[in-house]
Amino acid sequence: MMKAANRLGLVFFPAYDWAISPTHPEREERLLYTQDQLREEGIFDITGIRELKPDIATETDIMRSHFCFPDVSSVTTESHLISAGGALRAARAVMDGEVDRAFALVRPPGHHSMKCVHGNRGFCNINNEAIMIEYIREHYRTKRIAIVDTDCHHGDGTQDIFWHDPDVLFISLHQDGRTLYPGSGHLREMGGPNARGRTINIPLPPYTSEEGFIYTIDEMVLPILEDFKPDIIINSAGQDNHYTDPITNMNFTAHGYALLNEKLKPQIAVLEGGYSIQGALPYINLGIVLAMAGLDYSHIKEPDYDTNYSPQEEEITDYIKQLKTPVLDNYFHPKPDMERAPEGEFTLRHKNIYYDTDGIQENQREYIMTCKNCRGVLYIESSSSVNPPCVGIDIPVNGCPRCTKEGYKLFDKAVKQGNFSTVQMTDRVNKKYERHSR
Amino acid sequence: MLLGIDVGGTHTDAVLIDEQKGIISKFKVKTDKSNLLDTVINSLKEVTSGFDVKKITNVNLSTTLSTNAIVENRLEKTALFLSSGPGINPSNFCIGKNTYIINGSIDHRGNEVASLDTDYISKALRECRAEGIKVFAAATKFSTRNKSHETEIAEAIGDAADYVTMGHELSSQLSFPRRAATAYYNSAVWRIYNSFIDAIIGGLKNIGIDAPVNILKADGGTMPLAVSRKIPVESILSGPAASIMGIIALSSIKDDSVILDIGGTTTDIAIFAAGSPLLDKEGTSLDGIPTLVRSLQNRSIGIGGDSVIKIINGEIIVGPEREGPCLADGGDVPALVDALNYRGIIKYMDTARSSEGIRTLAEKSKLSPDDISEKAVKFSIHKIRDEINRILEEINQKPVYTIHEMVHGHKIVPKKMYLIGGPAHALSSVMSDEIEILVPENYDVANAIGAALARTTFETELFADTGKGTMLMPNIGIEEKVARKYSLEEAEADAKKYAREYLEKAGYRITDSDISIIESSSFRMINDYYASGNDIRVKCQVKPGVVMHLHK
Repeated sequence: MMKAANRLGLVFFPAYDWAISPTHPEREERLLYTQDQLREEGIFDITGIRELKPDIATETDIMRSHFCFPDVSSVTTESHLISAGGALRAARAVMDGEVDRAFALVRPPGHHSMKCVHGNRGFCNINNEAIMIEYIREHYRTKRIAIVDTDCHHGDGTQDIFWHDPDVLFISLHQDGRTLYPGSGHLREMGGPNARGRTINIPLPPYTSEEGFIYTIDEMVLPILEDFKPDIIINSAGQDNHYTDPITNMNFTAHGYALLNEKLKPQIAVLEGGYSIQGALPYINLGIVLAMAGLDYSHIKEPDYDTNYSPQEEEITDYIKQLKTPVLDNYFHPKPDMERAPEGEFTLRHKNIYYDTDGIQENQREYIMTCKNCRGVLYIESSSSVNPPCVGIDIPVNGCPRCTKEGYKLFDKAVKQGNFSTVQMTDRVNKKYERHSR
Repeated sequence: MLLGIDVGGTHTDAVLIDEQKGIISKFKVKTDKSNLLDTVINSLKEVTSGFDVKKITNVNLSTTLSTNAIVENRLEKTALFLSSGPGINPSNFCIGKNTYIINGSIDHRGNEVASLDTDYISKALRECRAEGIKVFAAATKFSTRNKSHETEIAEAIGDAADYVTMGHELSSQLSFPRRAATAYYNSAVWRIYNSFIDAIIGGLKNIGIDAPVNILKADGGTMPLAVSRKIPVESILSGPAASIMGIIALSSIKDDSVILDIGGTTTDIAIFAAGSPLLDKEGTSLDGIPTLVRSLQNRSIGIGGDSVIKIINGEIIVGPEREGPCLADGGDVPALVDALNYRGIIKYMDTARSSEGIRTLAEKSKLSPDDISEKAVKFSIHKIRDEINRILEEINQKPVYTIHEMVHGHKIVPKKMYLIGGPAHALSSVMSDEIEILVPENYDVANAIGAALARTTFETELFADTGKGTMLMPNIGIEEKVARKYSLEEAEADAKKYAREYLEKAGYRITDSDISIIESSSFRMINDYYASGNDIRVKCQVKPGVVMHLHK
């Protein structure tokens, strides 16, 4: 009998009865062959590997991370609550010591969902990892969290949610935004005025191969993690960097994903994208499972590896090497935000967000308080092509009394003004989550 | 008349059941492990003595022969041929010294990625011949989607073998390691099983019984004798399943229920959902080895009538070990039965010895005998109840894969508890509980009753890929071409039709309504945004059941 070196919990929820549309990449069939492969390998008979049933995320779980307009039930379905609940179950298993590591193989994905949610963008409605992180911070003593997003697309949703949070380090490796959806994730995006250097973007050139990814992990990601010293590492385990993925242009492999995971050693991994559902996902997922369990994955190889995979071109290697200095500088010596407001005042940011899946246009004015005692209260006015102006207020974890008071003042004012259709208050200090609808 | 016999590890039980009168004869004897055949033949003679054996219309036999052979490692030298393709290193799945790992690969869609290394097969066969190996097993990855590599290996072995087991014939289910182990053990017990069966047939003839013989399986059903000769591994661990089927025959179970079979060494726990026994998700494990043998879910814990009472740091503990029989039955150490005797809950054999033993234990530990006996009984009940709760938790937390099941899934909440086995009556009187406790009549031979009355069971799965135009049912050898528009409804009808044809040919007695669809799905496959056919899967079964009930 095989025995896992690390006890591993697998939350497998393929949502066999849910699709965005019948021919959409995010459809029922997506994890079918992964499940076939895992079952054929006998993964669940390995001592130390357990399959876990997802929780169902509650409205409170979602309101901790998101401002949903007009409300949670309007922008989510049961599938989203179960997928997020899958991430919560993975977190619970690790935090309660049931297992050493956990991998939530759930769909639909979530890393393109931002702080405000008006609908679906990039196949995502709510952000599974963000919901999980806030759940962990609310129920356990965990303070410092690192997320490493290895999906081929920039994790713009996760970046947006933790943009102002110095306790959450967000690192995204992705195909350069100049060549792929969502078009963001450039080097200069490095965190809000109070959290500079806590968002790290590593835009990789198209056709980056095993060599380039492993170099990026070894030379950029691991040194940053070593300095940040997170209490927990989370991997947004998108699998669309694979050389067979139909909607991206990278050149990564199943073996490479396993090796990456072995180096990163995340306590929790959550599946994101990955749409080469026959040729890549079964092998990548198997690789990640074995790597997380601390088992040998050297026999994993895609059936077409010998014919369709080619090693990295020199030009790409050189390009990636040149990224190292600016990436490390962004973390170790971040340039301060010149527009940062003085102590006790708000910094304003205008944002226009397009929801590609649902065709929604959103406009935001986001205000973050400069505060020497906490992360600062966050206030967002948001309107979109589907919702009249709404407001969200976020009093952060460990928010100071001044920011807490300011948050409630803003809430009362927005409610009294009467021209906002929804006003949501997220009070992490008192664990109160309320919504006022006109 | 129906004859049932269960050859268990400790006892062999036989019953003769008349369709009108119910049980007309029963016989119980200690199993002679060194001579199972004599035990069986004697039991058959005893239980039928005084009755007209010509009136016996069916014989069902449950035997530990294959189980014991595997557990005690009395196995024939068997060569295992594996071929795995990418994935977990196949050397993890070697069994015995003659496992040969052959290069070759078939993917999860059943496409051949790399052909078999025939040179290496020839070389391996030369080695086997030199070592005089006569039985073989072949298991290749995803053979249930494409059996060609397994058949190729079997053909290469050809006349060198007395028997070759091919993994895809055992089960349609995925799990390469289980397939490898199940195929190996099937070949390794093949000869010993078949010679045992030959002897049984001879014995039956001598007594004058010429009724059809069926063999019990771990899933609580039977298979015709001729079928069992090819898949003897399916006869493992049939004893606990026979007991469960016995309770079904003896009681009218309609609700979510718990079944406890309290024996000398262990208590077996089974859960019923809405009156039906639950099956293991993947298959049973034997001696810690997971197999593809379909089995009723059944968990053993080390609490039984002969479980030893110990005092550790002032705490009274029962089991999990048994050190011979209880004091009342001539043993040397006080056991649970002795505590029950002391408290007057039962009057089993030498009650004076029980009381004396409990008192001696009390003196040694400076506790009162009342205290010891009470706590021993309570401990045992707690232990059993904790395990029941753990099993229920596991069942109710069983992963599901659709939103529908996630939201509308049924939660099992037992309403009744059925107790059988030696100390059943005794424990039922002290297990005051929020749920109703029942002890069926004739529970002492429930296993043989279950054996006698168990119906046939069967499971198969159909896979169709309408893009490729193929349909197959691996474990019954069906491979057909299908049209692009082949539908899920057609697949369901085909699954039933081919299963029925196979079963009738193999000598099973079934009707159309016996075959039920248990899983059915159709996934639209997309390649580059265009539909490339459907992936259709239909699983059907003949579920466990009894031919008649014995309760009023």
